Amino acid sequence: MHGEYKMPGGKLVVIDLAVRDGRLDGVRLSGDFFLEPDAALPAIDAALNGQRADADDAALAAAILGKLPKDTSMYGISPEAIVTAVRRALAPGETA
Amino acid sequence: MSRSMWRDHDWQLIHTAPQAPLLHMALDQALLDEVAAGRRQPTLRLWEWASSAVVIGRFQSLRNEVDAEAARQHDIEVVRRISGGGAMFIEPGNTITYSIYAPLSMVEGMSFQESYALMDSWVLAALGELGIKAWYQPLNDITSAGGKIAGAAQTRSRGALLHHVTMAYDIDATKMLDVLRIGREKLSDKGTASAAKRVDPLRSQTGLPRATVVERMLATFRRLHGLADDTLRDAELARAEALVKEKFGTSQWVADVP
Repeated sequence: MHGEYKMPGGKLVVIDLAVRDGRLDGVRLSGDFFLEPDAALPAIDAALNGQRADADDAALAAAILGKLPKDTSMYGISPEAIVTAVRRALAPGETA
Repeated sequence: MSRSMWRDHDWQLIHTAPQAPLLHMALDQALLDEVAAGRRQPTLRLWEWASSAVVIGRFQSLRNEVDAEAARQHDIEVVRRISGGGAMFIEPGNTITYSIYAPLSMVEGMSFQESYALMDSWVLAALGELGIKAWYQPLNDITSAGGKIAGAAQTRSRGALLHHVTMAYDIDATKMLDVLRIGREKLSDKGTASAAKRVDPLRSQTGLPRATVVERMLATFRRLHGLADDTLRDAELARAEALVKEKFGTSQWVADVP
């Protein structure tokens, strides 16, 4: 499943994922945003893997924030924008 | 630490004969590390391309961004750079690409937005002298009334900032759209449905040969910030060549975000 979200005033945030047994699996974040350090990308993927597909937005954003390396900087992307892309991947055809 | 200014530094210029896309990727890392380590003075590097390439951003999905079959047909190499941002479509002679390797002290306490504008202030001045009224379009574009001229990207290492920019001099928009997958979502807040129309290259705006535009840009940098002619050192080239073998040329790196 695939979801894209152009963060207003930001960059394109893309999520590819699957759902197994009601949980997010194989989550992959990509896009033309700026993120440092590099290790933040796999950390975000790992934070989302295993989350319940029916978790609310706040829970998913908190899961991301909890796993970010210290001193992570984001430009053109935010935890909320990532969650919106996850929503769109889970519900293709709807606009989140 | 207080913020340093352009004139506090002894700027060096590297402008060599055309080099392969993978070597350009590696030189950005090697020279950023040299400036960070204090082995090299802050440097402006003007790129010359030996062959065509699509340069994707650090976090872009290879599959989502590039039509691999079309790239093969057009003999276009796909490489991944160390900074974030979007894909660039490069043909020799069609772009003006440069890198600035600056001490982090120059952007001390600045927002990202401010640091992008600072690093390209000389380019806006140079474009003005060429008769183009251009401005910074946050987050990372240089644009004019006619459309986008350039895209910038930054990445930071321990003590240094890499700011690099690709400007469109001329563009084969049909080929670009053949190779790059540009989705509708990406264009959703750009106010136009056509990706090709979003770019307004320097050739049509200036009527000048590319080499002349480059010469004028370098003259503006030299006048505003000072610039001494330098060359790539053997050790720097050797390090970059090693990085091509170990990192940038591996499928592991190019497909790191598959």
